[in-house]
Amino acid sequence: MRLRDTIGLTRVAWRNLWRNRRRTLIVLSSVVVGVFVLVLFDTLNLGMVAQMLDNHLRLHVGHVQIHREGYHANPAVEQFFQDAATVQQQVATHPEVQAVAPRVLAHGLLSSAYNNGGVQLVGIVPEAESLVTFIAKQLVAGRYLHGEGREILIGERLARKLEVRLGDRVVAMAARPDGQIGSEVFRVAGLFRTVSADFDRTMAFIPIDQARALLGLPSDAAHELVLLLNDARQAETLKAHLQSALPDTLEVLTYRDIVPLLVMQRDLYAQMMYLIYLIIGVALIFGIINAMLMAVLERLPEFGVLRAIGMSEGRLFLLVSLESLLIGLLGTALGWGLSLPVYAYLAHHGLNLAAFSEALTAFGIGAVIYPRLTFRVVWNAWLIIPLVAWLGALYPAWRALHVEPVEAMRAV
Amino acid sequence: MSAMAIVQAEQVHKIYDEGAVPVEALRGVSLTIAPGEFTVIAGPSGSGKTTLLNLLGALDVPTTGRVFFEGQDLSKLSRRERARLRLYKIGFVFQAYNLIPVLTALENVEFVLLLQGVPERERRRRALEVLEQLGIGELAHKRPHEMSGGQQQRVAVARAVVSRPRLILADEPTANLDSATGARLLDLMEQLNREQGVTFVFSSHDPQVIERGRRLLWLHDGRIEREERR
Ligand SMILES: Nc1ncnc2c1ncn2[C@@H]1O[C@H](COP(=O)(O)OP(=O)(O)OP(=O)(O)O)[C@@H](O)[C@H]1O
Ligand SMILES: [Mg+2]
Repeated sequence: MRLRDTIGLTRVAWRNLWRNRRRTLIVLSSVVVGVFVLVLFDTLNLGMVAQMLDNHLRLHVGHVQIHREGYHANPAVEQFFQDAATVQQQVATHPEVQAVAPRVLAHGLLSSAYNNGGVQLVGIVPEAESLVTFIAKQLVAGRYLHGEGREILIGERLARKLEVRLGDRVVAMAARPDGQIGSEVFRVAGLFRTVSADFDRTMAFIPIDQARALLGLPSDAAHELVLLLNDARQAETLKAHLQSALPDTLEVLTYRDIVPLLVMQRDLYAQMMYLIYLIIGVALIFGIINAMLMAVLERLPEFGVLRAIGMSEGRLFLLVSLESLLIGLLGTALGWGLSLPVYAYLAHHGLNLAAFSEALTAFGIGAVIYPRLTFRVVWNAWLIIPLVAWLGALYPAWRALHVEPVEAMRAV
Repeated sequence: MSAMAIVQAEQVHKIYDEGAVPVEALRGVSLTIAPGEFTVIAGPSGSGKTTLLNLLGALDVPTTGRVFFEGQDLSKLSRRERARLRLYKIGFVFQAYNLIPVLTALENVEFVLLLQGVPERERRRRALEVLEQLGIGELAHKRPHEMSGGQQQRVAVARAVVSRPRLILADEPTANLDSATGARLLDLMEQLNREQGVTFVFSSHDPQVIERGRRLLWLHDGRIEREERR
């Protein structure tokens, strides 16, 4: 029975909206613009923030890593595991996994004829690594590793420090598990430049077999398997699967475990969107209060009659609320209708911010931003905007409620 | 208190003291309205007609004295309870602003039934029935602005009777009408009174309304000065 009344009242509320077409259209368009801006802002912001994290992860960390148990806490060179190829194959069978690459890792020293510097030596399988991270695409000189030879990739910054160029030789030294110091000569094959200066100063990539030889590791040893997933959000579930499938001697970590600060930063950026919601909400609410108040005040005698014939305060409140809520819902619908094509276009072509690309690159975002529509955006817009509209009706509705029928009709 | 009474006022005083000087609009009015009456409260402007009608219709409460509706002391009811009483027991026809402008005649008549929670189908049937009965079926789908003042007032009467109230109060229903139109409105209400026993109380200073009253209460300066029955 309540619902039936509400439907009847909704019809009345709807017609009331169009009594002052101009006023309603003005408020309505403010809501439409608000929703339009919010949806695009929110999706672009989400896309940007996700891209930022993704770019960071694609730099080196990947989505999931597998080590020997305890390696993350204490990344020592003797903490390798064997049968890396077997584990890799097993991991690759999970449908969430897009690519897997093994790594041998060691802290070491890189020396040229002029200078030396501490580095993280990363032994990689070049093709596998290039499927997981962007390293192959970040070369600014020379070429990517392509085999077993004694070649090394270093950052541009490190090269400057060591005063070496492409083709020059450098000596890599690292402590081996047996306590000896391994050393080998490598030829600089390529120089990379990434978004991270730190990375460019400290990372050095060599073929995995060279790394094993340098460190005196068995031929199937690795310190790390790094996994790229089809979707970063699958990391936690995959971790749980892998933990039960793999032996206890191995540890499985997600990027959340490895770079919690980056994840926090992303979440913080996402939260900042609520500030925009607040600003737009506040801007909208004053327009709505103003319009609804005018609509209510000019109808006080009418409300007086309604109260006189026995309409309850609750129903009168409902009537005024519905008028505002209808504006909110209609505005949200139209705002979505307007923003979806734009969203679809941007999702396909991206928003090219080449003009600001330098600054963006520094943030690790990339010049083209692709908006990302999540359920949260849909929910936010459909919840927050109509709610704001309803809140805007509270004071006007309160005024309508306090109509004394006798007074209101006398004022005529 | 008469068992038959629909509404009864006992020594009612009403003082408005919002303004600079308190105004005593009613100074001790007692009256009883019995079922089937066709009563006119007459009196010059400012004599307290509207004030009295508002008290009888549970729209307001007296400053002192009591008003009983079907034996129920209105001063003991909350605002909400009085609204409910009006919804189910009393019909109103005001001088103006009777109808909701965005609704058609039919929808306006239905609106009271909507508030009563009557199902849509029955609402429609009863509303149409009343409009037909009052000979204004052809107005069903017109909005107030498409109707003349007299037509609007007749729709207001239809809205007042549709919920079959115990009492219909009409505050100067003909004030905005020319005399021919006013006469037809009165015909309509007389007919409802005669054929269906609907109880009416009017206020008016319009001679043509006054002459139709079967019971006449002359109000002057907030007192009933004279009563006539015809
Ligand atoms: N809400 C109010 N506040 C203050 N004074 C009021 C109020 N309502 C009525 N009055 C005063 O009370 C007196 C009686 O008013 P009321 O409206 O009942 O008279 P009336 O007989 O209906 O007059 P009219 O024929 O002009 O409609 C008048 O002096 C009026 O000014
Ligand atoms: Mg009056």
